[in-house]
Amino acid sequence: MSIFGDKIKMLLSGKPLSEVIVIPEVFGFSARLMGYKIRDYVTDGRIIASCQIQCQKQMGYDAVFAFADLSVEAEALGCKLSYEEDSYPAVSRPAVEGYNELKRLRFPDPYRDGRMPVIIEAVRYLRDAKNENCLIAACIMGPISLASQLMGLEQLIYAIVDSPEYVEKLLDFTTEVAISYGRALIEEGADLPIVFDPSASPLVVPPHVFHKFELPRLKRIYSSFKKAGASAAWISIAGNTIKILPYYSDAGIEIATIDYVVDLKKACQLSKGIVINGNLKPYLFVHASEEEVRNEVRRCLEDTRGFNRYILGSGCEIPIEAKPDNIAAMVSEARCFKP
Amino acid sequence: MQIEVLREAILKGQKDAACEAARALLNEGYKVEDIIHTGLTESLRLLDVKCTTEEFNLLEIMLSGRAMMAVMDDVIAEWLPSATVAKDNSASIVLGTIKGDIHELGKHVVKVILIADGYRVVDLGKDVPPLAFVESAAMEGASFIGVSSLITLTIPYIREIKNLLLREGLTDVHVIAGGAAIQQSDKEDLNVDYVAKNAFDGLHYIQNVLSGMPPDSIE
Repeated sequence: MSIFGDKIKMLLSGKPLSEVIVIPEVFGFSARLMGYKIRDYVTDGRIIASCQIQCQKQMGYDAVFAFADLSVEAEALGCKLSYEEDSYPAVSRPAVEGYNELKRLRFPDPYRDGRMPVIIEAVRYLRDAKNENCLIAACIMGPISLASQLMGLEQLIYAIVDSPEYVEKLLDFTTEVAISYGRALIEEGADLPIVFDPSASPLVVPPHVFHKFELPRLKRIYSSFKKAGASAAWISIAGNTIKILPYYSDAGIEIATIDYVVDLKKACQLSKGIVINGNLKPYLFVHASEEEVRNEVRRCLEDTRGFNRYILGSGCEIPIEAKPDNIAAMVSEARCFKP
Repeated sequence: MQIEVLREAILKGQKDAACEAARALLNEGYKVEDIIHTGLTESLRLLDVKCTTEEFNLLEIMLSGRAMMAVMDDVIAEWLPSATVAKDNSASIVLGTIKGDIHELGKHVVKVILIADGYRVVDLGKDVPPLAFVESAAMEGASFIGVSSLITLTIPYIREIKNLLLREGLTDVHVIAGGAAIQQSDKEDLNVDYVAKNAFDGLHYIQNVLSGMPPDSIE
């Protein structure tokens, strides 16, 4: 067990740590910092690992991420992506047009299909350069978000009401994809996969839909990851998640990233023993001054003082165009704080 | 049948039931204008209140929007020429997702709400360059440009729109920005007239501007 693994164990059990753990969602920013175009970053595992390691060393936070963008699984399953030179690719055409095309979807092999092997490669490089004081997090898409990419979010939303039995089948399929891909990432050296599911946000679907369609599948995913050796069950859903937060522990979730729109104190009260990560406003890192960032960091740390199950971070991805000094200011301010 | 049946079907997002109710009401002698004003427009108002007081979620709003559009396209259109559905004071609004972003769903929701409230909408689609918004606004005589984005990297393109409008002498065209990433920014940073918190917030801005209220009173 690494030094960081011990810290995670202490966090999960609610034992006080001597210093604040800082894990912001830093992905493409690391490429910009190291002088790479995003297109090169998202298509080369060696570049991902190298940028992540260098960026983490410079900024001093507590994790590296084996992650390219939100469309890796969708691409491996046949969605067409639109690539730009210096921004993230996005799905431009879903993999299936209608209900009858589900049979066309072929289960992806994480070692062969699309850019999944790129991320596997990134994990291996990160594992080989293992920093005992740092978490290796992979990131995967959750069931609803991947389903929304495969058939289009608008179509999925209508299908939830018009053909729920079809949606159940599709979500079972995307759940199995998440399990297969996530387990491969764990086996290759990731400490844990963070499940990203932006389309499961209450901003997109009401809490009862989350409860019925998402929760049982998250439970399956995290149970499988635990058996494969994941050090914790971590979810990241953007938007105001306060109404679904109390469900998280039912799915076996142990760490939840919450967005800046969520009341941090209230989230801690409703968390039912899970660790909260968040919730600095991501755009703060683009336009604010270092002093403003420091003030916000202190606000988060004061709001969670005595909670013991807290990881400082950003509510969502830190933008690619963020100012490096603002990220460094976040880390240095947190290091000065005594929990 | 009562008009409430139509409103309830729309609020529950039941497309077929809404169309059935609208047809039944018309067959019973309801005027088309009453269906529009006390049925559809009132449903829109109730949906607005619901989204403001509870949670705004895409699923419920899209289902209601779909039901509303189905009543307009499949029932009302058969009874009334589409031109008379629009409000007397209807304005044109140019909508699009800014260059560098291909997400269209939020824009689509805004489009449905604006059309349901009687406005004329020109949808430029996705990945739209700033100049295309301005050219379209000039060509269509639009009073508003609605620009959508999910990605903060596109903000420099959004900022260009107002400058291009001023260069072309289109000083009366209001620029409204909306979308997830944009919510973290303000109108000064984006160089727009208003940052809409959600689709209804954008609709309120348009309604208030058209009714002569100073834009600053809205925020």
